[in-house]
Amino acid sequence: MKNNYVRLGGILFIIAAISAGILAWLNGATSDLIAKNEAMASMDPAVLEAVMPGAVMFNEYEDTALVDKIKSENDKFVDLLTAVDASDNQLGNVVRTWSTVSGYGGDMELFVGVSTEGKITGVNVVTHSETSGLGSRTTEPEFWSQFVGKDAGEGITDFDAISGVTKSSNSFLSAVNNAISIYSEYLK
Amino acid sequence: MSKFDIFKNGVTKENPILAQQVGMCATLAITTSLINGVGMGVAVIAVLTGSNIVISALRKFIPDEVRIPAFVIIIAAFTTIIDLVMHAYTFELYQALGVFIPLIVVNCIILARAEAFAFSNGVLDSAIDGLGMGVGYLVAMILLSSIREILGNGTILGFSILPESYEPMMMAVQPPGAFILLGLLIGLVNYLSNRKNRKKA
Amino acid sequence: MELVSLFITSFIVNNIIFSQFLGTCPFLGVSKKIDTAAGMGIAVIFVITLASIITFIVQKAILVPMELEYLQTIVFILIIAALVQFVEMFLKKSAPGLYQALGIYLPLITTNCAVLGVAINNIKFDYTFIESIVYSVGTSAGFMLAIVLFAGVRDKVDNADLPESLKGSAISLITAGLMSVAFLGFSGLKL
Repeated sequence: MKNNYVRLGGILFIIAAISAGILAWLNGATSDLIAKNEAMASMDPAVLEAVMPGAVMFNEYEDTALVDKIKSENDKFVDLLTAVDASDNQLGNVVRTWSTVSGYGGDMELFVGVSTEGKITGVNVVTHSETSGLGSRTTEPEFWSQFVGKDAGEGITDFDAISGVTKSSNSFLSAVNNAISIYSEYLK
Repeated sequence: MSKFDIFKNGVTKENPILAQQVGMCATLAITTSLINGVGMGVAVIAVLTGSNIVISALRKFIPDEVRIPAFVIIIAAFTTIIDLVMHAYTFELYQALGVFIPLIVVNCIILARAEAFAFSNGVLDSAIDGLGMGVGYLVAMILLSSIREILGNGTILGFSILPESYEPMMMAVQPPGAFILLGLLIGLVNYLSNRKNRKKA
Repeated sequence: MELVSLFITSFIVNNIIFSQFLGTCPFLGVSKKIDTAAGMGIAVIFVITLASIITFIVQKAILVPMELEYLQTIVFILIIAALVQFVEMFLKKSAPGLYQALGIYLPLITTNCAVLGVAINNIKFDYTFIESIVYSVGTSAGFMLAIVLFAGVRDKVDNADLPESLKGSAISLITAGLMSVAFLGFSGLKL
């Protein structure tokens, strides 16, 4: 009688083990694609479009050693990403960085897109703590669109600050310039 | 019973949804558009055929006493395979079907076919039975989801087919529409088969 | 306060039958008498809540640390099947009275997709332990509410003079649809 239980348990165990083995293999084979799908779904399409028009996805930059090197040499730098379109063509790089000059409420964190031709494609504020209605206006396209198309090879000095919120505008500019300096130092 | 009869049986006389009325949860929930209905139908065909084949092949190896847990493990494994494949390759559909993909495992039709057919029939017959039942399920899904998409959205597969002046009937894609339209569909099928039987008699 | 609103939402606004469609099979199949429906409902509340607690712990303590999330479906359904067996054996031995009342419904619950559905949703919606218990109780109480209400209506429907083709599950579905219209009214509820 007892033997029979062992036999039944054993057969169930074999079936379960084989199933688990097949699933483990399939999971390994699909996990990259699944992670990519999930990452794509979690990215706000509006942000993608603002930073790099046509992009469907920001991938991690391939050369991770370079990313680590930038991190160790530039303490405001957060991450470097590669923007790709729907058919996986590279559109350019995206630098995620903090500002080097504080605004009213502290530092701002931006995405700065740079096309493969070395032009700025767009800027998006990730986090800021500027005054709502004043410093927060730096998040609006009316302000940041002036940077689009600028050459990312040299720092920007001449720009139209939002009147009355110079401090926030300058903080924003410093982050853009930090992205530019990273681009021209490491990627150009 | 010929191979074709086994197949036809699943699609018509013993259609899982329209005749046997099992596995209704997903049928009611995800038939808001034709593409979802087809996606769910294909997923069920894959799990049903796959588990039928494996269970039939192992029927001499699985002892009677533990057949139900063994069936459940095999069906759950196939469900997870479909879940992973859809998650990786058809992500939008995966998101639209949501929790109803893992729930294929408790879709009564699959366990019922394992118990009633695959465990006592050969591999080829079981495969055909799974396919037939699966296609029957798919047909019902296509019918219900087309009706709901046309009435509720005025579209089919996303393309507008009704004139501009058609005011979409929101209710059709909302929960009440699912219940009422499936009820009417089953009523219609009953009516047609009753009439056919009466003619024969 | 958030827990209260989670409870109300899962109980009525997103009613498991009338808006999520989980557990429709037993809903259409079993409920014909109000007291049978109530018995089934209580058994479901009990099993869903217990299953949610166990699957939640297994997910967080075993599957996630060992990166075995892909085995979730298999593990959960086996836990539920085993749990139902244990509950049945336990009730038979230690609470024969309760077993008499609920026992016959227990085997039906394994294939009730509501149990697995709630267990998976707890993980999918990223609930905390407490939230998942509240969600489970609310959802399964919603199931009970639905089948008890439905049993009452069905009593009348079965005696009505209907066209032959609509008898049985067709009219049940249509009736459920009309009840679902009523529940749709709760969706405007601000919580």
